[in-house]
Amino acid sequence: MTNRQAPSPTDEQLDVYIRTRYALLGVDISVLPESDPDAPMDQERLLANGRSILRQDVVAADFEIDPQFNLPVAHPAPFVAWTEEADR
Amino acid sequence: MRPPQDRVVSRRWFLDRMAWVTTAAAGGTAVLPRMAWGDDATRGYLRDMPEPRPLQVVDDLTELTLAETVSLVRRGDVAPEDLVRAHVARIERYDHAYQAFAARPSLDALLAAARAAPTDGDGAALRGACLAPKDNIYTSDLLTEGGSLVYEGFQPDYDATVVATMRSAGGLVVGKAQMGNLAGGRAQVYGTTTPTTRNAWTPDDVEYSPAGSSSGTGTAVAARMAVAGLGTQTGGSVVGPGNAQGLTCIKPTFGRISLHGVIPLSYTRDHIGPMARTALDAAILLQVLARPDANDPRTLGLPPAPNYIEAATPFPGDRPAVRWPTRIGIAPGWLESEDERVAELRRSFVRELESMGNVRVVGEVSLPEQWEELTSSPLGGSHGDPTAFFIEPLRRDVRLFGDRLPRFLNGMLQSADTYVKVQQARMLLLHRIQTQLFNQCDVLLTESSGAFDGTGMPVLCMPIGFGTEPRTARTVPRGVNLAAPPFGEERLFAVAAAWQARTDHHAVRPEDPVG
Repeated sequence: MTNRQAPSPTDEQLDVYIRTRYALLGVDISVLPESDPDAPMDQERLLANGRSILRQDVVAADFEIDPQFNLPVAHPAPFVAWTEEADR
Repeated sequence: MRPPQDRVVSRRWFLDRMAWVTTAAAGGTAVLPRMAWGDDATRGYLRDMPEPRPLQVVDDLTELTLAETVSLVRRGDVAPEDLVRAHVARIERYDHAYQAFAARPSLDALLAAARAAPTDGDGAALRGACLAPKDNIYTSDLLTEGGSLVYEGFQPDYDATVVATMRSAGGLVVGKAQMGNLAGGRAQVYGTTTPTTRNAWTPDDVEYSPAGSSSGTGTAVAARMAVAGLGTQTGGSVVGPGNAQGLTCIKPTFGRISLHGVIPLSYTRDHIGPMARTALDAAILLQVLARPDANDPRTLGLPPAPNYIEAATPFPGDRPAVRWPTRIGIAPGWLESEDERVAELRRSFVRELESMGNVRVVGEVSLPEQWEELTSSPLGGSHGDPTAFFIEPLRRDVRLFGDRLPRFLNGMLQSADTYVKVQQARMLLLHRIQTQLFNQCDVLLTESSGAFDGTGMPVLCMPIGFGTEPRTARTVPRGVNLAAPPFGEERLFAVAAAWQARTDHHAVRPEDPVG
């Protein structure tokens, strides 16, 4: 259940955030064409992807998961050697 | 008969071994159980392989399988130099059409390596094998460009652990295989979206994809320009080209093969995967490469590698049978396809499986709860992973990344709490796959490898027949993905070995390019 009260940011607000974040880290996306479907990449597609990534953060935040039983694990498969889950 | 490793892996393995160590340390006479690591174990397993076809019936040395190659070389029936000449001749004649290789050594350098390959008593495990690693795997003598402008001109000063291991076993790198840009998509001209590598089954048709991102390895092996190769898989990049080109490939359990000296895409999802023409060939490569590497701690502390070669050897009997009693489940929807010919091929495959010994097809399984949420973005992904490794070139010029740029910038946007949540979700998904999916079956037939890539579980692909490509009406191979619990490689090899003892789809050779 989501308890967010603030209105969701607009695309324009997110674009400002994304450009600022890249600039802060020293990444210059202005060298890409603004919009050119024939180019390997353009700013329009890059920003659309960035907005999607940011909004997926909300999906992840809303997903409830029991932290006592599901510790963050980078590579979980080998753990079955320790948890006896293979001994079904 | 001993059970397969997916049934015996548990902390008991660790506790048992520690008990031996404690006894020995206390001055007892205990000798540690033999670990299945190292050349001695592999060579022992190789001696038990089936007899190769007589050389007289093979009119082209590039048609030999890896199993036949190592057996014939060990006996002295074939010289490694002759294998080199045969493969190089084929590459020089046809790779202008396939475009599978990004870099190649000279013939003289290969012949010198073939002559210098260790013979070491019974012969090193891969002596004379002409191999094609993907171009994101470091080679000290060949450029490693990762299919990208980011690495253009990059010359590593050491071999990746897998390359060093193959070479020390007598394997020969006949070339670095082209790949999708930084391990995504099909191989392209660097920095563009212009395709390069062709599917070995349609070399004159640039539109029909070899699949990616291990495109060049797939084409090189299918087109008999290499006897086997190595791909990498973060999200389907070994089994995709494998299925598109009629190969048998294994993406093993995470940590089984060292990633040291591999250009990373995701530290948490990358896998090396042997790509070959048969289950036995894939098993031989895995047997050689599945070992701990001090330079990659992810390979340490795992149960010892079992005898994959035996698992991939057809089980003797009156009819093809899987080595161990095995329940095979079907992922929901897998039997259906928009292409009715594909659907019929899959139904036929399942009927054939049911007729094999030691197999019980349990039908469609139910998926674990919250499957959709746990296997799709953002929880099932790895969006933030690639950024940290690539900060310098991202600052230098984002255009170097071409069409893959978004993937490499995502880490600057994905929050730390989401990154942690993704890893929690992986653990939850692993638990549910173990307890809610692999409680119904031992092996799953599935379209997508995604859930198993993210959790690090093994996946094998193999051909199940041929279909018609709708656009051009060309005959192309069709394959299947089989997934298993962690350390279930033996089980997968056993199913594939039984299938390949019954059918010959894996042995069909694509026609040579015209001109």
